[in-house]
Amino acid sequence: MGTKDKGSALYEVLKGIDFERRQLVGKKPRVGLFDLVRKDDGDYRCYSCTLCERICPVDCIELEYCPEFAEEPFDFEAARAAALATLPGESCGAASACVAGEAPDQFVPEIELKLLDPVIAGIRSGSGLVEALHATQETYGYLPRVALEEIAEEMCIPFSRVFGVASFYSQFRLRPVGKYVIDVCMGTACHVAGAPLVVEAFSQELEVPVGGTTADGLFSLHTVNCVGACALAPVVRIGNDETLGRMGPTEARRLVRKLRKQEAAR
Amino acid sequence: MNAAAKARVDKIGAALAAAADATAYLADDAKTEIRICAGTACHASGRVSLRKAVDKALADRGLTETVKIVETGCHGFCQQGPIIVLRPKGIFYPRLKPQDIDEIIETSVVGDGVVERLLYRHPQTDEVLALEKDIPFYALQKRVVLSLNGKIDPYSIDDYLAHDGYKALAKVLTEADPTAIIAEIERSGLRGRGGAGFPTARKWRSCRSNPGEKHYIICNADEGDPGAFMDRSVLEGNPHSVIEGMTIAAYAIGADNGPVEGYVYVRHEYPFAVERLRAALRDARERGLLGKDILGSGFDFDIRINQGAGAFVCGESTALTLSIEGHRGMPRGKHIRTAAHGLWGQPTNLNNVETYVNVPWIINHGAEEFASVGTDTSKGTKIFSLTGKVVNGGLIEVPMGATLREVIFDIGGGMLPGREFKAVQLGGPSGGCLPASLLDEPIDFESLVAAGSMMGSGGMVVVDDSTCMVDFAKFFLKFTAEESCGKCVPCRVGTTRMLEILEHISAGSATLGDLDLLERLADDVVEGSLCALGGSAPNPVLSTLRYFRDEVVAHVVEHRCPAKVCRPLIRYTIDKEACTGCRACFTACPVGAVTGERKEPHRINQKLCIKCDACRQACRFDAVRVESGKPSLVEGSRK
Repeated sequence: MGTKDKGSALYEVLKGIDFERRQLVGKKPRVGLFDLVRKDDGDYRCYSCTLCERICPVDCIELEYCPEFAEEPFDFEAARAAALATLPGESCGAASACVAGEAPDQFVPEIELKLLDPVIAGIRSGSGLVEALHATQETYGYLPRVALEEIAEEMCIPFSRVFGVASFYSQFRLRPVGKYVIDVCMGTACHVAGAPLVVEAFSQELEVPVGGTTADGLFSLHTVNCVGACALAPVVRIGNDETLGRMGPTEARRLVRKLRKQEAAR
Repeated sequence: MNAAAKARVDKIGAALAAAADATAYLADDAKTEIRICAGTACHASGRVSLRKAVDKALADRGLTETVKIVETGCHGFCQQGPIIVLRPKGIFYPRLKPQDIDEIIETSVVGDGVVERLLYRHPQTDEVLALEKDIPFYALQKRVVLSLNGKIDPYSIDDYLAHDGYKALAKVLTEADPTAIIAEIERSGLRGRGGAGFPTARKWRSCRSNPGEKHYIICNADEGDPGAFMDRSVLEGNPHSVIEGMTIAAYAIGADNGPVEGYVYVRHEYPFAVERLRAALRDARERGLLGKDILGSGFDFDIRINQGAGAFVCGESTALTLSIEGHRGMPRGKHIRTAAHGLWGQPTNLNNVETYVNVPWIINHGAEEFASVGTDTSKGTKIFSLTGKVVNGGLIEVPMGATLREVIFDIGGGMLPGREFKAVQLGGPSGGCLPASLLDEPIDFESLVAAGSMMGSGGMVVVDDSTCMVDFAKFFLKFTAEESCGKCVPCRVGTTRMLEILEHISAGSATLGDLDLLERLADDVVEGSLCALGGSAPNPVLSTLRYFRDEVVAHVVEHRCPAKVCRPLIRYTIDKEACTGCRACFTACPVGAVTGERKEPHRINQKLCIKCDACRQACRFDAVRVESGKPSLVEGSRK
């Protein structure tokens, strides 16, 4: 029985051990362009399950249907050059490091797990899951997948349950948000006073739908059920601190322009 | 009284006296004080810059030592924020700007006069009212729960202690008879203020009688009803009263029954309330009013804060307990009540903020005095948050049984100028709209349910003829459809289907048969839903069909939206006579639908118009008109 006998169980075990070895004592995993692995006959092993796209924590994998892909031979160098030219490197904070195939010196991962330490300490002193998620969101501005995994491990509960809770409550965000989070109150009093028009004005001015973040990463537009400042309807909240009352579509547009100008001046 | 009982009285009395810090500054109506409202609404209207201006004005005159500034909780008159009240006279200054402060300090604090131009004016008679107590908004209310809001500093436990705070707790600890507390609450006739109006005493007794390793006392501050903010105001203005009420409940339920633990489940959207409650809990623990061996009585009870995360359904008791446990907040069937099997499977008592705050008052003043206010079945007072198209929006506490007219027109000051009353919505997404013909109905639990609405947590939104009732019902149904947890089919699918029908109605593409279907579906959702969210979700639709059927039928038959709100049924046009060609609408239009030369009448291109209302708001000559009711112009027909 040789190692070339690929069907055997032993081969799989050895492969596993080799994988473990590489993970443990091998070089650090590098950030690079991940190309598709091929089978012996040259065909791709990928069967488009789309899992990678769905689980990427920073949304940097995008799948496209490409009929010519199957026919044309894959020119690795050309593909790399093309990818380098088009990929928005900022999306993962690695500045195209993945495309270049090597980790630059100053590469700082977006998710600093050290920041999660107080949350973990909170869990150890008895805080509940919802509290832990609030603390995580306060730290990162949203709930990164790795942080959720960390919490699941710490609390000894399945990741699915943590994710289930995170996705159930409307206050939790699973995607990064912009610098200014605009929460438009959609309570009854605000609705009667014209909040839908305010949301629409924001949406048009920012060119994002509700729940979206602008491409420059400055603004996120959200709605909130009621902030309890009904006498000032319609109410808009910027971040956690600033609450603006008696807003109208015109005020909304003006506000966005003012903040944009402020940012441009910086 | 035997010696042991006397010793207990002395011990607890001495502990309560020792809890107060004699050196602390106490807010007092008779002292020269500047009271700045620090509620959320006043904060949003510029409370911080006001405070800075006051500080500076006092420092300039060297008055920092003699004139105290007290940042109080919500005064309730939120529409007039930011508010300053000057003691000892009680001069009320609404809607202030930082630049007004100098003048006020000079005239009313240093001098003895008032700045007349800044005072409150009666909305109808235009009479200038200088004193807080003369303003009808305050004069006509009966404040029990809100009595200390606006008087004390929520961060000062000494202020609360000086206003008979924790006296009721000391009393029940001294008497040491838990069943007597429940009997007292029963005599008072107190019913839950969270919506359903379940008798509080019965709830406590049932929780008490259920055995468990531990009893849990939960305060429901998950005020999810959009348009209601009384719980937030109480927590922000007087957090100690909630702690005291919960501790009394804990003593009544668990004193001789094993350990008790408390939770406050508060919305994450209320950062001020959380902050102040947290400070209050810390202070109460430091002074021996919470935690181990409260006031030396040997009774242990502590409270934890648990923040929600924006799920309306978590106001439901079983969902709330699941949420505290760290699960998705999905209600379970209530064949076993939370009083028997609640948080962590233990007997749990869940009451609303307002309910707990009533408890110390009842203990202090006696059940009879509490029961002397209100109607036969609904006792005491109730806070309403009055909002919408009224002059004086804010928090209003009135005796149960007051009529809607008293609340909206006498205290609330009536409709905004030029507006006509159309409906009042009570009870949030679970309640219903009541028309003008029911304005003289008394407000109590039973009458409101009979009228097709409900008390809910007390949100009261007044609407005028510019609100379309179909759109309004759609708003609530959209809310419940989004907030439905998805566990049971009637609620998850039923509300969505109902919403679709309403959307067809507001698009002018429904038939009269759809209205029957809507009513049938509503009945099914009510019957089949697992929890109260689904069980009451169709209420806004049913009450709209009951009282405003004409308006719904106008949408269906005439393809007309009488309030000119439903977009597919309206169109914007420019009156050629009135238009001056000032180009204000041209600039305002976000899609370039307005065309026309300067000083020439403009036109709106109907194909491009998105009906965003920007042109109408921009027009200074009232030339932009909204039309509805021409079937030929209706778009999006289903047929």
